[in-house]
Amino acid sequence: MDFSQTDEQKMLQESVKRLLERSYDFETRQKMLQSGRPWSPEIWEALAEMGILGLPFAEEVGGFGGSMADVVAVAEPFGAHLLIEPYVSSILLAGQCLAQSDSPAAQAQLAKIVTGEQTAAFAHEEGKGTADPALVSLAATEAEDGFTLSGEKRMVLGATQADTLVVSARTRGTAPDADGLSLFMVDPKQQGVSIRSFVTIDGRHAAHITFDGVQIPSDRRVADDAHEVLQTVISRAIVALCAEAVGAMGALLRQTSEYASTRKQFGAPIATFQTISHRLADMKIAYVKARSCLLYTTALMDAGRAGAPDISILKGQIGTLGREIGEAAIQTHGGVGMTDEVSIGHFHKRILTINALFGDSEYHFRAVGKSLATGGA
Amino acid sequence: MSSQTKEELDAFRAEVAAYLDTAPTDAIREAGRKTTSAFAPFEQGAAWQAILNEKGWAAPDWPEEYGGTGWSAEQRTIFEEEYRKQDLPPLLPNSLKMVGPLLIDLGTEEQKAKYLPRILSGEDYWTQGYSEPNSGSDLASLKCSAVADGDDYIIDGSKIWTTFAHKSNRMFMLVRTSNEGKKQQGITFLLLDRTDFAGMDVRPIKGLDGHAEFCEVFFDNVRVPQSGRVGAENEGWSVAKHLLKHERNGSANSPVLVRYLKRITEAAQDETSPFGGKLSDDPVFQRDLGALHADVTTLAQFERLIMGGHEMINDPALPSIAKTMNSELIQRVSVMMTRVAGLEGLSMQLDALAVGSGVDPMGSELDLISMPFYLNSRATTIYAGTNEVQRDLIARSLQIA
Ligand SMILES: Cc1cc2nc3c(=O)[nH]c(=O)nc-3n(C[C@H](O)[C@H](O)[C@H](O)COP(=O)(O)OP(=O)(O)OC[C@H]3O[C@@H](n4cnc5c(N)ncnc54)[C@H](O)[C@@H]3O)c2cc1C
Ligand SMILES: Cc1cc2nc3c(=O)[nH]c(=O)nc-3n(C[C@H](O)[C@H](O)[C@H](O)COP(=O)(O)OP(=O)(O)OC[C@H]3O[C@@H](n4cnc5c(N)ncnc54)[C@H](O)[C@@H]3O)c2cc1C
Repeated sequence: MDFSQTDEQKMLQESVKRLLERSYDFETRQKMLQSGRPWSPEIWEALAEMGILGLPFAEEVGGFGGSMADVVAVAEPFGAHLLIEPYVSSILLAGQCLAQSDSPAAQAQLAKIVTGEQTAAFAHEEGKGTADPALVSLAATEAEDGFTLSGEKRMVLGATQADTLVVSARTRGTAPDADGLSLFMVDPKQQGVSIRSFVTIDGRHAAHITFDGVQIPSDRRVADDAHEVLQTVISRAIVALCAEAVGAMGALLRQTSEYASTRKQFGAPIATFQTISHRLADMKIAYVKARSCLLYTTALMDAGRAGAPDISILKGQIGTLGREIGEAAIQTHGGVGMTDEVSIGHFHKRILTINALFGDSEYHFRAVGKSLATGGA
Repeated sequence: MSSQTKEELDAFRAEVAAYLDTAPTDAIREAGRKTTSAFAPFEQGAAWQAILNEKGWAAPDWPEEYGGTGWSAEQRTIFEEEYRKQDLPPLLPNSLKMVGPLLIDLGTEEQKAKYLPRILSGEDYWTQGYSEPNSGSDLASLKCSAVADGDDYIIDGSKIWTTFAHKSNRMFMLVRTSNEGKKQQGITFLLLDRTDFAGMDVRPIKGLDGHAEFCEVFFDNVRVPQSGRVGAENEGWSVAKHLLKHERNGSANSPVLVRYLKRITEAAQDETSPFGGKLSDDPVFQRDLGALHADVTTLAQFERLIMGGHEMINDPALPSIAKTMNSELIQRVSVMMTRVAGLEGLSMQLDALAVGSGVDPMGSELDLISMPFYLNSRATTIYAGTNEVQRDLIARSLQIA
């Protein structure tokens, strides 16, 4: 496997970095958050024009057939700038689910998502119990001409603004059967759908959604026997989320070492005190570990060799190492690190959010150990 | 070991429990459940203190002649334990644990008469103006200056991280009155009767949890009377150090942690494990909860030895050891809380968190407080002397000269 970035990936990453350095500095982002806007339409359009929204999709649907490594190359700068645009929710989760389907409805919807004209959200999490998709229990009962959805989804990123929801649901069996899962396209304005919106600690708009006897025609079923689709889509999204987290960790390392080199106490930069310099060293070790794990797992994925334990190792490592770096960054900043006015805490909150999505590090480490101990890996 | 019999202590416990069952209002209880910081929500904290003061229980560790209770160490422990069983807001510390005891020891008769009763009743709240933008760990380098002018001082400079300055009506502060000699030598301890003197500007600063708990305070030619000085001019450093002396007597921080752990344990019974079943049945969770409980128990054991006057109190490193243990344990408990809340901790719910808002939280009450508590707890290893500085002090007690 080759781990170095191709020239195209380097150019792609550079152009994203340039765009974000120009128009997505921390102050601009904070102003946008305070204004209540869910994200910046200008940035979204710019990403569409640069082909980044279409990056992970096949050429037949208007995409660029990008690899996991391509997505990771753009997701790292996304994390370093704390993007709140719905890239993961609309493109990597909902969009990729639609892309797995050949239903005309799904294809028509996907075309609008790839161009950025519309967004979709992935309604999947049901609380603690869905780190493993086999635990989905929202019911899709067969009805005349289709299905009736009843149940609740939690923490649906980008739901309030989404033109379409892609909902995972169970048509047969009970959790934890891997069988019996389907994906449906649901219009969020449809009767029986109620959305409770909020903002997450890392600045993204999200919602809890209840489905109360929502009627879905058969042609809105995007996939049945969806367990494998779900696993594939979620695994790829996890890698992208981890890339965002690694981008945030890099920013924390850089800003904290800058701060420690300029902040003086007792007449000397605090970086000259050994406790501080060793903490910075530990942050760097953690960052190098996190990035190694990310890049290697990305290459495994592109080689078609990333198994469930590989994804779990990545997610577990990123959650743990990210927390370590974030907490060290705050401590090194002293009182300044406790304020909402500097970016440090915001990076940490992004890392904490990523850790909690799709199973936290406790879950994934135990999943790795379980698979080892029971001879699965 | 005890000055009271077991029967007397049991009767005392029953009396305290009965009182705490009935005395607090609903808003005070709500504030207790929604406390996500070492500092309780201000208004309800003050209201609760006023009620306790009517009963004579606002400052159990003060000398009786100034309004203390005269309780034994066992009684104080019992009071703390019963208090924490109830999710009641902790009383705000600056007045009762800092300025009050300091004035009792070093204040003039006039200062004591003027300030102590209003400290007990909660009518006055004192903010602590020590840290400055360029003087945190190196506090003695502080620059905010006070120049004598007739019977007054003229103050210029700024203070930062002053907790609740925007809610306080008084401030105790350290100012520079001389640049001669060692930096510790030119510092003076001042009491300010108001926080809205002409030329004073208080700017709240929003924290990681979205609340403005601390402030920056600017002084531009602020005239204050010299009668507010405690101790002599240029001797404020030893006054401030005297304040720390009270930490030696120990305090019971573990009951708060016991209470949080209990809430975590209860919440885990309603929470699903990501492996299916209940989180409380998950062996990994059980093991981690057990390890945490063991450390909280040991903190409680340590605190009881100290409060009981064990010879360990003569160790000069003791306050630093206590501060380090307690702060790091708070952080671990807060991490455990976010772990139980999981995804539900990710939503910003400042409205539901506000006492009396009537807004229902989106998940459980533990979900609601978990993330603000975790974020706020990052400060415990920073304030009151960072843990790096505390470890330096502990290390000093180990070096052979
Ligand atoms: C198993 C083993 C094999 C070895 N093999 C070889 C060999 O083949 N050839 C050879 O030449 N040597 C060898 N060494 C010696 C080894 O390189 C030294 O032990 C090492 O350099 C440390 O020196 P010291 O033992 O004198 O400890 P010291 O230098 O006295 O250090 C004692 C402690 O103080 C710490 N310390 C010292 N300075 C600082 C500082 N500035 N900041 C923070 N902490 C500090 C150290 O990290 C250590 O924890 C070997 C040692 C071991 C244990
Ligand atoms: C929530 C909160 C409430 C507060 N409330 C008050 C208040 O009411 N009144 C008040 O006066 N102050 C208050 N403070 C301020 C607090 O006392 C200071 O934040 C603290 O003293 C650290 O100072 P600093 O923030 O300037 O950090 P710095 O001193 O700049 O420290 C930055 C980092 O460097 C480390 N460091 C510094 N010097 C050394 C050294 N020699 N060796 C090793 N490491 C070192 C520190 O440990 C820290 O990790 C509060 C702070 C917080 C966070």
